[in-house]
Amino acid sequence: MRRLPVYLLLDTSGSMTGEPIEAVKNGVQVMISSLRQNPQAIETAFISIITFDSVAKQVVPLTDLASFQMVDIKATGTTCLGEALKLVSTCIDNEVAKTTAEQKGDWKPLVFIMTDGIPTDDWQSGLEEFKKRKTAFTVACAAGSGADANLLKQITENVVSLDTADSQSIAKFFTWVSASIGVTSTKVEDAGKEVTGMGELPPPPSELNIVT
Amino acid sequence: MSFLTKFSNSGTNIKTVSSIITPGKTYQYVDNGEPMRGGMKDVYFGPDKSYVVAFYRDKQDYNSRERLKKLVTQYYDSFFNREGGDYYKSLYCWPTDMVELDDKVGLIVPAYKKDFFFKKGYANGDGIKGKEKQGLWFASSKFRHKQFSLRLDETELGNWLSYFQICVKIARGVKRLHAAGLAHSDLSYKNVLIDPVSKAATIIDIDGLVVPGLYPPDVIGTADFIAPEVLATKHLDIRDPNRKHTNRTTDLHALAVMIYMYLLYRHPLKGSKVNSLDTEKDDLLSMGEKALFIEHPTDPSNRVKLAQGSKWALPWADTIKLPYTITGPYLKSLFDQAFIAGLHDPNLRPNADTWEQALLKTTDLMQPCSNKQCDQKWFVFDNTTSPKCPFCGTHIKGTLPVLDLYYQFKPTVWKPENHRLMVYNNQYLFQWHVNRNIIRNERLTAEQKVPVGYFTFHNDKWVFVNQKLGSLKDLTENKEIPLNTMVDITDGKKLLLSDEEGGRVVMITMANK
Repeated sequence: MRRLPVYLLLDTSGSMTGEPIEAVKNGVQVMISSLRQNPQAIETAFISIITFDSVAKQVVPLTDLASFQMVDIKATGTTCLGEALKLVSTCIDNEVAKTTAEQKGDWKPLVFIMTDGIPTDDWQSGLEEFKKRKTAFTVACAAGSGADANLLKQITENVVSLDTADSQSIAKFFTWVSASIGVTSTKVEDAGKEVTGMGELPPPPSELNIVT
Repeated sequence: MSFLTKFSNSGTNIKTVSSIITPGKTYQYVDNGEPMRGGMKDVYFGPDKSYVVAFYRDKQDYNSRERLKKLVTQYYDSFFNREGGDYYKSLYCWPTDMVELDDKVGLIVPAYKKDFFFKKGYANGDGIKGKEKQGLWFASSKFRHKQFSLRLDETELGNWLSYFQICVKIARGVKRLHAAGLAHSDLSYKNVLIDPVSKAATIIDIDGLVVPGLYPPDVIGTADFIAPEVLATKHLDIRDPNRKHTNRTTDLHALAVMIYMYLLYRHPLKGSKVNSLDTEKDDLLSMGEKALFIEHPTDPSNRVKLAQGSKWALPWADTIKLPYTITGPYLKSLFDQAFIAGLHDPNLRPNADTWEQALLKTTDLMQPCSNKQCDQKWFVFDNTTSPKCPFCGTHIKGTLPVLDLYYQFKPTVWKPENHRLMVYNNQYLFQWHVNRNIIRNERLTAEQKVPVGYFTFHNDKWVFVNQKLGSLKDLTENKEIPLNTMVDITDGKKLLLSDEEGGRVVMITMANK
């Protein structure tokens, strides 16, 4: 069975302290339980969580929905988005199976990035690494006014923005992420159709603004 | 590009729409600003939840509107507003009316019956309690694996016989559509809800039906169920004459896949053969142009490699331990026809009626497993002298009468029907066994569904108790068997079940002696 790898890159820098980080934790939980109601997602989706603050860490390796367990995350430090992009590139190399003559590989991964601030490291060099990997699609979410949607546009054409990084908006974002994974896990095998761009995804809830 | 939608936080809002079929007829629905979102439609409940209003998000063109109109009027009437129509109502969730609001077209669709929502759901936790019983929950081995944390509760799963009955209903639903010249075009476990507990199935998303003479909807189906020729030509322009569209024969591919999956909990074409090093291309080829049955008898190149699969897929992924032949001779031959001969030759695919009859005949070959712990509870007689349950390995204890049915070809010449009835304790005999003119299908009358007698193991021997057969005769001993008497079932005995036109003879063989 081909797996659909999903990487969530979550900003855990100091500015996320309080309501935002709690909302992210809650959002991940709600997303997992909602995906666990979708048999297609349980069959194919594997989720990994990468956090980034002063360092980037893969806090949950690529895990199937049944075994997925969220770990505690804390908001602290700076915003090393570049490192996170490097790390997700390595993870894709190590975890996503390539199709070989003997074995069917995994689907191309989905990558969701959520950040509330401006990267503090050399994010372009991370981006360069990341661009060498093939993803089905990458979505970046600028949470609140501190994030720079135009900067994220350089990472992916699919950028959504939340007006505020409050718990309600963040919850909506995760609802939308789970809907996207659900849709993709159903559609991904549909005739080997490339899933690219946001036209394939369900429309986001009204609080999200798509940056074009 | 913007997906910004208007959003009202003003709470619950009851709205009214008008039928475009019946002037003056209106429907209410509850709009809380967050409809359930389907692939193409936004769905709202009526105030009492007995129906839903499903609005197409996109404007529907003239053809589509005409198609939908026909479905809710002409076809609705011909399916349901006639004798026997109620039976079909249980097989479909068919739209009953068409409405319009501004430039958006909507359908009124009855709500699903409560049997199609999980009473318990997962064995552990309430995660899916009350959610729809989408078919995939029951078509995948994972959700019935005892160590899988998200497995379904045993009370939701039914037994193996339940799935034969479910498949009969799906086949009947498809048969009736095809008889009307319609094709569903998107049959899949997403569009058929099933309930193993009440052994029911209902076909949903009827609005995608291909109506003869009108343009087909622009769908190619759901992954896993799309016919190989549709996938192999989907890159061509929609008007290219070589492009293959969904039709009756693509439905028949989907039906065969569905039956295989509900009986064996694995996909018939998803094996280990790699057709391209590019994952997307490989998938397209493996399900399309290069599709190959995983149990092909002479080409083993697409066999499942267990080491590469998930442990939750066992034991069903193991085609050596549980080959498709465990579904019995009638279905084996249809699977061969569907996945070998007809896989790339649509006209050779078995039709829905053939599936229905083969499934029903197979239930006559089934035996209850004597092992109370057996997960499947029933199995198909394997035609060996020492029969055993393929699931738990338990052997049948004691003798096993096998009844082969014969019909009168001409006076004094009887020929086999290729229909066999396996006897078990308290097994009933029905009219459709007695007389070949009585066909076991949805048109049976209530009277024809009453058993005419039963088999029982009594005082260390097998007997048949005659309850309703007026002309039952033991041909071996040349003796009439009157009503409310019994006849011994012994090796080699021949019984004439009825002397009426179409009446059959059964020939008894004792297995497991």
